[in-house]
Amino acid sequence: MSRPTVLSRRTLLRGVGALMALPLLDAMRPRAARAAAPAPRRFAVFYTPCGIHMPKWTPKAVGADWALTPTLESLAPVKDDLLVLSGVDNLPGRPDGDGHHAAATAAFLSCAKARKTEGTNIRTGISMDQVLARAVGSATRFASLELGIDPGKGVGNCDSGYACPYANNIAWAGPSTPVPKETRPRAAFDRLFADFDPNATQAELEKRRAYGLSIIDAVREDAKALHGRLGTTDRRKLDEYFTGVRELELRVHAMEGAGPACGAVAPPEDTGDVRERTKAMLDLIVLAFQCDLTRTCTFMLGNARSQRVYSFLGLSGEHHAYSHHQKAQANYDALAKIDRWEVQQYAYLLQRMKAVQEEGGTLLDHSAVYFSSEIADGNMHEHKNLPILLAGRAGGALAPGRHLRYEGAPLANLYISLLRIFGVSANTFGDDGTGPLPGLDG
Amino acid sequence: MRVRGRTWKGVALAGVLLAGCDAPLPKARVLPGPTHVTPVDPMDVMCRSQPRDPGRVTLHRLNRAEYDNTVRDLLGDTQAPARHFPPDDHGFGFDNNADVLSMSPLLMEKYSHAAKQLVETAWAKGTLRTCVLDPAAPEPCARALLQDFARRAWRRPVTAGEVDALVRFVALAKQHGDAPEVGVKLALRSVLVSPNFLFRVELDPTPTSTAPHPVSDTELASRLSYFLWSSMPDEALLKVAEAGRLHEPEVLEAQVRRMLADPRARALVDNFAGQWLYTRALDFAQPEARYGFDEPLRQAMRQEMQLLFQEFITGNHRLKDLLDADFTYVNDRLAAHYGLPPVGTDAMTRVSLEGHPERAGLFGKGSLLTVTANADRTSPVKRGVWVLEQLLCKGPPPPPPDAGGLAPAVDPTLNIKERMRQHRADATCSGCHALMDPLGFGMENFDPVGRWRVKEEGGATVDPSGELPGGKSFRGVVELRAVVKQDPDLSACMTRHLLSYALGRGAEDADRCTVHGISKEAESRGGRLADYLLAIVRSDAFLQRRGESEEGPKP
Repeated sequence: MSRPTVLSRRTLLRGVGALMALPLLDAMRPRAARAAAPAPRRFAVFYTPCGIHMPKWTPKAVGADWALTPTLESLAPVKDDLLVLSGVDNLPGRPDGDGHHAAATAAFLSCAKARKTEGTNIRTGISMDQVLARAVGSATRFASLELGIDPGKGVGNCDSGYACPYANNIAWAGPSTPVPKETRPRAAFDRLFADFDPNATQAELEKRRAYGLSIIDAVREDAKALHGRLGTTDRRKLDEYFTGVRELELRVHAMEGAGPACGAVAPPEDTGDVRERTKAMLDLIVLAFQCDLTRTCTFMLGNARSQRVYSFLGLSGEHHAYSHHQKAQANYDALAKIDRWEVQQYAYLLQRMKAVQEEGGTLLDHSAVYFSSEIADGNMHEHKNLPILLAGRAGGALAPGRHLRYEGAPLANLYISLLRIFGVSANTFGDDGTGPLPGLDG
Repeated sequence: MRVRGRTWKGVALAGVLLAGCDAPLPKARVLPGPTHVTPVDPMDVMCRSQPRDPGRVTLHRLNRAEYDNTVRDLLGDTQAPARHFPPDDHGFGFDNNADVLSMSPLLMEKYSHAAKQLVETAWAKGTLRTCVLDPAAPEPCARALLQDFARRAWRRPVTAGEVDALVRFVALAKQHGDAPEVGVKLALRSVLVSPNFLFRVELDPTPTSTAPHPVSDTELASRLSYFLWSSMPDEALLKVAEAGRLHEPEVLEAQVRRMLADPRARALVDNFAGQWLYTRALDFAQPEARYGFDEPLRQAMRQEMQLLFQEFITGNHRLKDLLDADFTYVNDRLAAHYGLPPVGTDAMTRVSLEGHPERAGLFGKGSLLTVTANADRTSPVKRGVWVLEQLLCKGPPPPPPDAGGLAPAVDPTLNIKERMRQHRADATCSGCHALMDPLGFGMENFDPVGRWRVKEEGGATVDPSGELPGGKSFRGVVELRAVVKQDPDLSACMTRHLLSYALGRGAEDADRCTVHGISKEAESRGGRLADYLLAIVRSDAFLQRRGESEEGPKP
C-alpha cells in the first residue's frame, strides 16, 4: 500500500471557501491512528415495498422464546441476531386522501408528512440515515450510500397526486432534497472504487488532486456569482449544487493509490434479472462496510407501489395488485411467496455480514440492519403495526434474539434510539418522535 | 372536497368530479356535451378580465436526455454518457420538471467523471482544437478557444472575467510542468461541471419582484431549443438571440418552423410523446408468457408510436386526429399481431387502415394497450384512467381507503364488465368508476398485448359497450374514440400537457386561462401540432417570467 496521504486542515479550507464549516475529517488523521480504533458501528436499511401479509409474519410469543413464522423462516441461521418489533406505527405516513404508498415511503425514514403535490414545492423531512450520515459520514470516503433495484418507469403519476420523488427515494438530505440511488450494480461498484489508482506515483496523485481541486474552485466561483442573483427557490436548488461540489471536493482529497485493504473483488455484471441484481447490491453493501468506505447505507428492493411481476416465483400478477388482496386466499398466497422471497434477501445480507470477521466480532455484531416496509397490510394501507426487523448488535447497543411488542409506539422513537446508538444526541425526530424506544438493549 | 392535484378546478370541469366519489354525478361535460349549447364560452368571459401570470420556472437542471443531446451538439460525441447517471424523477408526468430535478452528490460525481471523459474524447478527435496552442505563447489561442466553447456550452455570451478565469488553467498547468493543452482541457472540464452548463439559468432583474418581465433573448433561445430539441441552441438560433431579435414574432415563428423541420425535433417524439403516450413504459412491460410478447414485438410497437407521432410533427394532420388517424406503421410481425395483411418486410412500413377501423388512432395501438394492461389481464380501469388523465385532464378523485384492485377472476364465465359491476353497485365507488370503467370497457376487444379478441380468456364474450354519466352510450372502440374526440376538453388537455413539458413546470389552476388561450389560438390556426407548439411559444408563459417574494413559496 502506498503511504497514506495526510491532508492539512488548511489545505482543505483553502478550497472550501467561506460557504460552509468543515468538519475534522478522519481522512486527515494518519492511518495508523485510525487502525487502532475498534471496529466502527454501521447502519443499513432494507426497504421493501407494498407492505407485508402480517398473519404469516408476526410471531405469537413475545420475548426470547419466540418462534419463526412462515414468512421469517429463512432467518433461522441468524435468529439470535434478530429483534422483531411489533406495534410500532408511522402515522406521519398517512396521506391526504389517497397516495398511501408514496406518502408513507417519503415518511419511511423521515417520519414527516409529505406535502401532497405532483412536483411543485415537494417537501417531507430529512431522513434519519442522512442525519446519521452528517454525524458520522466524515469518517469515511462516502458519507452514505444509496442503492436500489428499480430505476422507475418514467411515465404517469407515481401515486395519486404525490410526486415521484416521494415514491422513489427513502433518503432525504433535506426536506426538499431526495438523495437518488444507484440502481446498476456495476455503476455502484465503479463509484466505490473509482478514486483508487494503484499505478499512480505519489507525485502524479498530488498533481491530480491539485487539478481536481482547481476545477472545483472554479465552478464554486461560478456558483457563488450566480447565487447572489437568484430568488429563494432557485437558491435552494443551487445549494444542492454547493453540497454536491463539497462532496466532490472531499472525494478528490481522498484519492489514493492502492485500493482499500479489504481484498480484491470482481466487479459485478449488470443484468436484467432482479435476483442477480439484488444479490449484487447486497454484496456491495457488505463490501462497502467491510472496506469502511461508508457506515450508512440504504437499499430499496423496489420503488413504492411496485408493479414488479415475480414470474420466477410462479406469479403472474403485479406486486401492488396482489397487495390489494381483497381477502382472497389466492392473493394471500401470492403475497406470502413474495414476502418470503424478500425476507430471504434480507437473510442473505445478514449471513454475509455475519461471515465477515472483524476486530472484536463479526460485521453483523457491529451493525444495525433495519428491515421494514412503508405500510403493513396493503389492502387497508395500514400505517400501524409495521413489519419491523432489526438485526445485529450495533457493537453491544442492541440485545437481539427477541420479539418485542409495543402499543402504538411511534416509528420515530425507534429512529431516536438508533441515532443515539450511533452517538447522535436526539430527543425528538420527525413529526411525532418523543424519545427513545425502550427495551432494545435488553 | 377531495380533489387530486391534477384535476382542473376551473369552469372547464363543470363540477364533474369535484363532488368526490360518493356524490351523485352531475351531468358530465366529458362525453357528450350539454344538450343545450351555450353561445358564450364561460372560459372566454372569465379569462378576458384576468391578468395572466407567466409563473416561475425553477432553476432547471438538465435532465438525462437534455444532457446527452447537449453534449452531442456541443462536442459531436454521441456516447450518451447520461445513460449511466441515476434516473431523473418526474413530476406532472414529465421528467423535465425543474422542481423535481434535484442535484445530488452522486450526480455531481457523474458530471465530474463525464466531463473528464468527454473532454479527452473530443480533444483526441480534434474537433475542439480550432487554433494551434503555441507552447511559447499559448494564451491567444487558449482564450479564443475557451471563449467560443464556454459561449456555446453556457448558451450565452461570456464575460471577459469568465474567460480570464478559464485561461488561468493554462498557467496552473505550466506551474505543474505540463503543456498548455493540459490546462485548456482542465478549463474545458470546468465549463462542463459549472452550474452555467448544468443548469438552464434564467435571471430576474429583481429576483424578489413578482412583476412579469420578458426573458432575455438568449434565455428564450434556450427555452426554445430545450422545448423542441431537448438540447442547446444551435449557432443560427444563438446568433439571432445575441442580435436581440429572437423575441420579434416573425423571427420567432421562423425559428420554430426551422427547428421543427430539423431532425433534432425528434426529441419531441422521445421525450414529450414518450411520456404523454406512456410509450416509455413499454420498456418495462412484462406481459405473461402466454401472450407471446417478445423483444421484436416490443420494438415494433415502440417504433409504431414513434413514427406515428413523428408524422404529426411535420405532417399536415390535426393533433386531434391522433385519436382516429387512419394510417399507421407496421412490419410483418406487428401486422400479424394486429390481423392486418403482411407488408412483406421487417422494416416499419406506412399502411392505410382503411377496412380496419378498430386499429385507427391511439386506442388501436399495441403500445398503449399493453402499458395500460396488467401482466395477466386487461385493466379497463387503467385504460380508462389513461384517457381521463392524458386526454381529458380529469384525473379521478382517489378511491376510498379500503378499495382494492380487482381480484383475479372469481367466476371466469362472467365477463370483466359483469365482474366489475360491483364498482358501481358500491355507492362509495360508483361516482368515479361510472366514468373510468366505461372508457376502458370500450377497449375490451383488445387483449393485454393489444390483439383483437371477441372472447375473454375465461370464455365469456367481450362486451365492449359502455354508458357514460349523462346517458351517452357507445359500443366498441370506434364509437368510444369518436366520443372522446368530440369532448370539448380534449384540446385544452393536450395543451396542458404540452405546456407543462414546454415550461418544465406543472401547468396548474393558475394557468387555466393561458391554456385556454393557447388551445383556442392553435385550433383557429388549423389545430396541427405545429399550431399548438407555436401558440405555446407565443404565450406570455413562454416569453416571460417573474421573481418570487422574499419568503419563497408558502410552506
